[in-house]
Amino acid sequence: MPKLANAPARLAGALALVETALLVLLLTAMVTVAVYQVAARSLFGGGGLVWGSDLVHVAMLWATMVGAVSAARANRHIKIDLLARFAGPAMRLAAERLTSAFAAVLCGALGWFSLDFIRWDFIDGTPGVGAVPAWVCEAIIPLAAGVMALDYLARAVWPGREGPVEADAGGAAGAPGPAHDPRGDGKRDDLAP
Amino acid sequence: MIWAGVALVVLMALLGAPLFVVILAAAMLGFLATGVPLASAAISVYEITHQPLLVALPFFTFAGYLMARADTSDRLMALTRALFGWMPAGLAIVGFVAFALFTALTGASGVTIVALGGLLLPMLTASGYSDRFSLGLVTTSGSLGLLVVPSVPLILYGVVAQQLGVGEPFTLEQLFIGGLGPTLLMVVLLSMYAVWLHGGVPRTAFDKAALWRAVRAARWELPLPVVVLGGIYSGQFAISEAAAVTAVYVFVAEVLIYRDVKWRALPDVVREAMVMVGSILLILGVALGFTNFLVDAEVPQRIFAVMQEHVSSKYAFLILLNVLLLALGAILDIFSAIVILVPLLLPVAVGYGIHPLHFGVVFLANLEIGYFTPPVGINLFISSYRFNRSMIDIYAACLPFMAVMLAALLLITYIPWFSTWHL
Repeated sequence: MPKLANAPARLAGALALVETALLVLLLTAMVTVAVYQVAARSLFGGGGLVWGSDLVHVAMLWATMVGAVSAARANRHIKIDLLARFAGPAMRLAAERLTSAFAAVLCGALGWFSLDFIRWDFIDGTPGVGAVPAWVCEAIIPLAAGVMALDYLARAVWPGREGPVEADAGGAAGAPGPAHDPRGDGKRDDLAP
Repeated sequence: MIWAGVALVVLMALLGAPLFVVILAAAMLGFLATGVPLASAAISVYEITHQPLLVALPFFTFAGYLMARADTSDRLMALTRALFGWMPAGLAIVGFVAFALFTALTGASGVTIVALGGLLLPMLTASGYSDRFSLGLVTTSGSLGLLVVPSVPLILYGVVAQQLGVGEPFTLEQLFIGGLGPTLLMVVLLSMYAVWLHGGVPRTAFDKAALWRAVRAARWELPLPVVVLGGIYSGQFAISEAAAVTAVYVFVAEVLIYRDVKWRALPDVVREAMVMVGSILLILGVALGFTNFLVDAEVPQRIFAVMQEHVSSKYAFLILLNVLLLALGAILDIFSAIVILVPLLLPVAVGYGIHPLHFGVVFLANLEIGYFTPPVGINLFISSYRFNRSMIDIYAACLPFMAVMLAALLLITYIPWFSTWHL
């Protein structure tokens, strides 16, 4: 690989760390608050936190978007790829460039037009979770969409790269690494639960 | 212009563009054509925060990933073997039951085949079952628990169907019960086939001590069905709360008590689970936007109108549905099938007088079979890779099982009682 390709790989490694930390934090928060709500109601007879379930729902959105960014970089988003499955290696690379460019444009569009939505909620002062306004909760959408757009752009330029999530996910599900990839083509499709 | 866009989207899908991108593109095209602001796509993604049931998915998925990493499969195997091993073709029955339970917990994924299949296949062949039968069993049973709570596709169907709000309303609790009958039917039919074919293999005597050992070993996992279901059906917990409690319970059992999963492995497990959840929920989010467009454009009504000209009876429609879903089930992955096809087909089915719960069970049962439908069902590839066998061997091994499952599917389709007896 040319030197140029190393920089994105290092950046990808650093980003993966940040994402993992965020995901652990978000899931921990979700579980803790959700269980606290149950305990507050059934053990202490109280109502739990007023903004508790809102927080859990927004944390889920954030976890979804961060997880989606991880999936994008590791090339693990669900796909159909009926044609590419039967194509040769060269055709496959070309298909990856093309579809990645397409994905970059669409992610960019999602992020760009989500700014309208966020602006409306900012102007209206829509409430979000507790004292946090809705637009802050929604900010993850353009952020994640933007990162995914850049990621797919990088993939359009340097196709065939597997992200670090794939590389060290060996025991992901109690299985030896390559078992996730039965066709040997780096695509996971619907293999994980 | 719009048709050129549609053609581009279809081409990109076939070339392997991520599905969420494909649905997003379709939704945005629809918005452009009908003059809806494109920000609606982002609004529909935000909509997932307004679906309280969805929170159950990350919790159950995390619990499933933890159990897949732990030695749960060994303990489950030992327990079901001690329970059912003495029956005629007992080990095969062990396989069906264990696979269904494990799949319900971990999702119909490669995990069941890789973890449980790896244990069961050598046991089967060593006990006198034919190679072809054993291979077919571990390949086809990898999706057997799809209709068993807390399977993620089952929950996802419930959320999508409720969002549509067509036909008779049902609760997720009712859907969970509705999935049990058909699964039991499948297990019984498969077991009868196993007994018919291999009823003569030597049986092991019922061993009380072995059962006791297996129960003791699995004592922290045995209460799980109570944790998952007890709270929901006693009315104490909402489903999302039961899911959160399940996640904590599984964490305590596997990490703190069994210590099967080390602390430093946890970030990995969390990331893996959330990558999965992220890709499913993002598809659902953009699909909500696409569904809004379909409903606004009255697409399901138009399909129904066209269908009614050619298909007059409910049963003819169901046959068509089975054919369509079996074909698509082998190509589409299950989550995309649910978010794309359910909004299109459920209103049509309701038009023919089919109960949404019955439709859901038939829908998922078809996809269950799609997992091992030659030539491209995903279980076939996993099995071929895991057991190092040619695809032709795998196809041949799976065909008899497919015939049994199709028989079960026909019964489930034409006798709604199996899925709706409790309503």
